[in-house]
This record gives sequence, C-alpha cells and structure tokens, in this order.
Amino acid sequence: MRFLIAILVLALSWVGTAQARYYDDVIASGVITIGAYKDFPPYSFEQDGVASGVDIEIGRRIAQELGVTMQVHWITPDENLEDDLRNNVWKGHYLDKDTDNPLAMKHLADVMMRVPYDREYSFKRDSLGLLINEHVVLFGPYQREKWQVAFDSKKLDRVGTVAVFQYHPIGVEIDSLPDFYMTSAFAGRMRKNTRHYPNVHQAFLAMTKGKVDAVMGMRAEVDWLLSEAENSQYQLAENGFPMMGKQQWDIGMAVKQTYRELSHAVEGVVDQLVTSGEMDKIYTSYGLRYELPGLYQEIE
Amino acid sequence: MKKFSGSFAVTALVAAMSVSGVAQAGVTDKDILQDQMTVEDVVSNGLGPRGQRYSPLDMINTDTVEDMRPVWSFSFGGEKQRGQESQPMVKDGVMYVTASYSRVFAIDTNTGDELWEYNARLPDGIMPCCDVINRGVALYGDLVIFGTLDAKLVALDAKTGKVKWKKKVADYKEGYSITAAPLVVDGKIITGVSGGEFGIVGKVEAYDAKTGKVLWSRPTVEGHMGYIWKDGKKVENGISGGKPGQTWPGDLWKSGGAATWLGGTYDPDTNLLFFGTGNPAPWNSHMRPGDNLFSSSRLAIDPDTGKIVWHFQTTPHDGWDYDGVNELISFDYKEGGKTVKAAATADRNGYMYVLNRTNGDFIRGFPFVDEITWAKGLDKNGRPLYNDEIRPGNPSASEDGKKGSVVRAVPSFLGGKNWMPMGFSQDTGLFYVPSNEWAMDIWNEPTAYKKGAAYLGAGFTITPLHDSHIGVLRAMDPKTGKEVWRYQNYAPLWGGVLATAGNLVFIGTPEGYLKGFDAKTGELKYQFNTGSGIVGSPITWKQDGEQYLSVLSGWGGAVPLWGGEVAKRVKHLNQGGSVWTFKLPKS
Repeated sequence: MRFLIAILVLALSWVGTAQARYYDDVIASGVITIGAYKDFPPYSFEQDGVASGVDIEIGRRIAQELGVTMQVHWITPDENLEDDLRNNVWKGHYLDKDTDNPLAMKHLADVMMRVPYDREYSFKRDSLGLLINEHVVLFGPYQREKWQVAFDSKKLDRVGTVAVFQYHPIGVEIDSLPDFYMTSAFAGRMRKNTRHYPNVHQAFLAMTKGKVDAVMGMRAEVDWLLSEAENSQYQLAENGFPMMGKQQWDIGMAVKQTYRELSHAVEGVVDQLVTSGEMDKIYTSYGLRYELPGLYQEIE
Repeated sequence: MKKFSGSFAVTALVAAMSVSGVAQAGVTDKDILQDQMTVEDVVSNGLGPRGQRYSPLDMINTDTVEDMRPVWSFSFGGEKQRGQESQPMVKDGVMYVTASYSRVFAIDTNTGDELWEYNARLPDGIMPCCDVINRGVALYGDLVIFGTLDAKLVALDAKTGKVKWKKKVADYKEGYSITAAPLVVDGKIITGVSGGEFGIVGKVEAYDAKTGKVLWSRPTVEGHMGYIWKDGKKVENGISGGKPGQTWPGDLWKSGGAATWLGGTYDPDTNLLFFGTGNPAPWNSHMRPGDNLFSSSRLAIDPDTGKIVWHFQTTPHDGWDYDGVNELISFDYKEGGKTVKAAATADRNGYMYVLNRTNGDFIRGFPFVDEITWAKGLDKNGRPLYNDEIRPGNPSASEDGKKGSVVRAVPSFLGGKNWMPMGFSQDTGLFYVPSNEWAMDIWNEPTAYKKGAAYLGAGFTITPLHDSHIGVLRAMDPKTGKEVWRYQNYAPLWGGVLATAGNLVFIGTPEGYLKGFDAKTGELKYQFNTGSGIVGSPITWKQDGEQYLSVLSGWGGAVPLWGGEVAKRVKHLNQGGSVWTFKLPKS
C-alpha cells in the first residue's frame, strides 16, 4: 500500500511539472525542467546513468540559483530547430499522448538549452510575412561555437587548407553543414573523399580505425573526442573554411513566448556565469575550449 | 491391391485438403488473387493485387446512387485523431481497418459494433516524418497483419485481436517507420519501409505470413547487398544494381534514401511485384551528380527470389523531392488486334507513364496536370528533358551566407499526385487520377539550424496555381494521354479512388464529402458530408444481397503539416476519425 501511495505521489508530481510554465509556477513547484538533446556529448548525455555535459551543468546552476531542483527533459532532435522548439518548448509533440490520462499536459521543457542565438533567425518571416518563431523567446547567449577539423598525424603532417581532402578521406555527420560543405564546395572536388557517419563520434571512431584521415564537426565535439581519446596521434587542424556561409554562431536558450519573466531570471543567472568566468570553468572541466558569445566579445 | 492403395491415397489427400480448408477458414492466396471478382469480400489493398480499385458490383449505379444512405458510422474515439488514410478490408462479416497512431479495429459490418481494438505501444521519441497515418492491413489465414510507426510488422488473431507474431523490419531509432498496407503474395507478406532524411536506405522485404520469418530482403539503392534466407540461413543474393558507385558519387549510396514508403502491387500474369521508390538523399541534388539509382523509380521484383527484374526511373537525379513511389497498376488493352500487357503510374513529377509491364519498356508518357516547369517533356525512352534553370540551387552558391536564388517549380514537391491511389475502370478503360495543381518556390536557406549547429536548409513555400481549386479528379485515357473529363475541388485531393461497374467513380474530399461521379461523363451523381475530411480510400462489397460502400473520414496527412498559401485553404477543416458505411434502402 505504501508502495502504491509512493507511486501515486510520484505520478501526481510528474503531471504537475509536465508543462512549460510561468516563473512563479516554477518557483512554487520547486522544480525546473531543462530541455537538452539526448546522447549529445559533450553538451548533454548520460554517463553511468547520471545526466552530464556542459548544458546539463549550466541547467544545474540555473536551478541552484533559482532555489529549485533540476529535472532533465531529454530531446530527440527532429529535422530542424523549428521542429525542436515546437515539440519541446511551445506546443509539444503530437505523439506525446497519455492514453490513460488524455487530459494530461504535454511534456515540455521550461527552458531549452543549446538554441542558437541569432537575431536574423529569431525574426525570420515566412512567405506571408508572419514571424516563424513567434511562439518562443530566444535569449541568453552563453557560448560561441564554430567548425573544427581533427586529423590523424600518421596520415597527414598538417591540415593547412581543406584542399588536402581532395586526396585524403574525411568523416562528417550525415545531413550536416560539414556534409554540405565537403560534398559541394569547390565544385565538389572533395566529394569523393567525404565519408558519411550517423554522428561525429562514429566518424571519429572510423578515424581511430584508419578508415578516414580526418573528421569535421563542431569545435566542442571535436575537443571532447580528442580529450577522451588521450592520444597525441590525433590533432587539431588549423585550416579555415573558405566560402562557407556560417563559420561561427552563438548558443543561447529558449522559453515559450508567454514565460518571458522566466527568461529574465534565467538570463540573470547565465550572465553571471559568463562574466564571472564560471562558464569557462564548466567548459574546461570537460576538456573544451571556451569562447565568449559575440555579445560579450563586443563588451570586452 | 496396388489400385486400392492408390485410390486410398487419393481419398486421403482429398480428405486432408478439405480438412486444411476448414482449418484455415480464413483468407487464402486464391481469395487474394481473385479478390477483384469475388464481390462478397475485400481482402487486398486496391481490391485485387493489381490495385485497380475496380469493383464489378453495379447495384449502386448512376440511376440508384442518389438513394444511397449511411447505415452506420463508427468512431475510432480517444484523443488520437489526425489523418485516416486507411482502406478497410472486409471478410465474413467483419471489417478490419487501421487508424492513426498504429491502431487496428475489427468491426461487425452489419451493426457497426466494435469486436476488438489493437493499440500498438509506440516507443518514446519516435519521429515519423509525415503524420501518424497508416494505410491499412493485410489479411492472410486467420491473421490481420499491419506495419507500425516504429517499423514493425504485427500479426493479430483475426478473431481476438491478440498478437500472434511481431517482427522488427527496421530500426525506428535510425529513422525508419512503416505506414503502407503490406501486400500478400503466395503466403508471403511483402513490405517496404518509410523514412526521412536521416540517411536511411529503402528496401523491400518478404516475410512468411504464418510465422513472421524473414525470407528475403532487397535494398533499393545501388550498391547494397540483397539477402535471401535458405533453411534459416542468411545467404547473399546479389548486389542491387551490380556494384556501388555507378550512379552515385563518393559514399553517398550508403545513405541514398529511395524509401519504399507506399508499398506495392502485384501482377499474377507476369508474377512480378511493382514497388515505387522515394527521392534520393540528401535532398540537394548538387551534392550527388548522377542518376542515383534506384531512387524515384518503379522496380519490378521477383516475389520468389527478391531479385530486381527491371526498373524504370521517372525522375533521374531528382532535385525536387518528386519521389517515385506511386502505385503501378497493371491493365491490358487492345491495340491493332493485339493485347498489350501494360501498367500505368501517375508520378509526383506531373507525368503519367504507360509501361510494358513484362520488361519495363516505356510505351508513352504525358502530363496529367495543367502545368509542368521542371521538364520540357519526355524523350522516346521516357526520360525527362530537364529545364536546367528550374533545378533548385547549389548549396555552394549560398556559401556566402545569403539566401540562394528562388526557383519556382511546378508541380510542388507534394506532387501532381501524391500517395492517393488512382483507379482503373475495366468498363471505360480510363484511369481516374486524383491530382493537385500547385507550385513551389524553393531556395537555399542559410539561416537554419539543426541540433545546435548551423545548417543549410531548404526554404520553400507551396502556392496554388488557381484561385478556384487545387484538387482535380481526372479521367485519363491511357491509350491517348487525353483527359476525358475533370472535377475541380477547392482543397487539394488526398484520398483514393474507387471505380465500379455501376458506371460510378467515388472519391472523398478534404471538405468531408464522399462524392460519386458518372464514370463516362464526370457528372456529379452523389455527395454526402462525413463531418471531417476524407483522405482514405473507399471500398465496396456485397453482403446479404445488397451492395455496401465504406470510407474513412478524418482529416490529416501531409497537407496540413505545411504552411503558406495552401494552409489557408485547409486550416478550417476539422479533425475526426470514423468509418462511414452506406447502402441503398431496401425497397
């Protein structure tokens, strides 16, 4: 019986926290739901059953400063960011239905991490002139991200330019910008040497098995894989990415448009982490380089 | 003595046959092959394995149809609605029908009472590409078999709805799902797979209908090995297309797409399966110069061995997401005193093709929509003559970070015809093609993100060609390519066709109407509003001496998922989820 009651309480509290909410509701409930991508190291992933990664760590600090506990809402990525915002921040996924409790709220994140902070994106309009992302507030930039190549020093002395990939195979994540770039830039001259993998981690594994001579991914992903590998055979490249449109971009967060007050509170916490140097420490603890987002670089 | 034992053996054999006949009592291979002419049941998707969607029933005809009345309506209930794209099946007074979210219902065809319901337990975090629809079950023996959104085949007991076997066809975590109705040929369940842009590879697979054991697997992208199972052992069965790298650059064939998401048809005459294949991946054609076989094609496959016998590619080097999944319907016609074994298909790309179904040779092709901009026409082999300036842009052209140039292509990627099956009348010799008139503007979109990373998406918007209509039901003559009549509909058509010997053609509309037309003239003879949009395919059968007709009602599918100008025409339409059944009043 006690067991049953415990389950019932758990179930009730789950329903209570199952929707994105107003700031006051978050504080009153004692729990904040942080949305983060599933199996996405070094940003958010599970290590021995414990939620880990820089985004999870930042979520923990947010919860701590607001005086609540963190609950992670794991996000399965859809085809693009608009889909992820709709499924996880403002509307919920259409498959998120509870047959036993049809009136239950959908599972949403109060705050979603790793949402690019880009004014052009925030105010993008559709063909009828309507705002595409009107249901969400994109705020609180906390990191600048860019592309990075790592290579096998037994196969290549150095990677000064991407031209070497006319001759050496390189691994990329399928349907990513590195995929577009390597298969189409310079009239497709690197196309034949572009090898596709489900994610950067798999591409890196292929490099350690000698199947590709280099990998291209996001800087933090590549930093993480190199620090995990602990093998000086694999090194950072110094090349640029000529003709690539988006060389770098800033990462922030998102809340539902109606919960602006929550965004102000969270922004305050994250701003403090960035300016105090705590953010840098979080990244460093995972073996990653940290770069301030554009907003802070301009202030410095 | 010898003579005696001989006749004893024969008697025993006869006894054994009749016993097994009784024991089966369900749907046999013969039932499926003769489905079109046996009007008392509907045991195949498309009313016969050829998928002609023609019934020889004529009690409901152009004279009597105005009296047709609903006899019962069955609600799928629950919170789960969205698109209802299924075609019901009927056997021995029971209707078997799937609903959105991988559900199956068994319904008493006399009363509309529910007999049982099966609700597939779907895992968390699945991401099917285009709504949570399902297009119907297969029946075999005492089993009801269907595919789920998490890419499994499930066989249920036709009496109880309890699971008899369940088989994983592909991994939903890699982006696979199943929405099409499986096909049954000679005791084999034949299925394709659906999937998004996650780097999947299409395939057609055969399973033993009784046990669910896999029999063969045929990838639909050049370079992948096919397999056949002999005595339980997996044996190599030849690489699709011979070897990799002939029509694909680099390693892109490994993730080439060509999903077989609409299932297939079967022609007993030639003993061939006909499956269509989807667009090649990635979406941007400039990344993959070449024909990209066997994407956007029709494949003829030997049902016994899983080998590709012939292929016909409608859109080589597809850059518009035109797919090539559309049903290939076998039919015969006379020309110069000779019978031509033909098959026809109306493609997303706006052209209708008539092929020689024995070898895949192109006989003729013609547009079935008012406007086509991406190609100037077809050459003598049926290959499109491209309009190069109508190919969506090269991503490297927008690497300066600006929006690429806008290309206006007609038809839109939702197609001159999408999934909704056409019908063929054996009386008129015409195909009834549910089509749509719309264009798309498409451009490279550098202000895009995916999983926390900068991305180069494709921006697009779909616009109607006419103020008055998008949908057009057309009667097309496959011998001449001429349109015989048309019916125009304000919203896009998204449901299948039924043709009958009563000189009638039925189709449902998103506005909710079941409509019946004179098959020869196109005159509207009947309409009834079912309360929600129709995106399913009607069936008809005979029971206790009366002709019945059923169709699903429940608006959804891919159309409402896209915004822009088309959304304005459909956003007022209400969701639903029900089966409507009609007949004539007893005189």
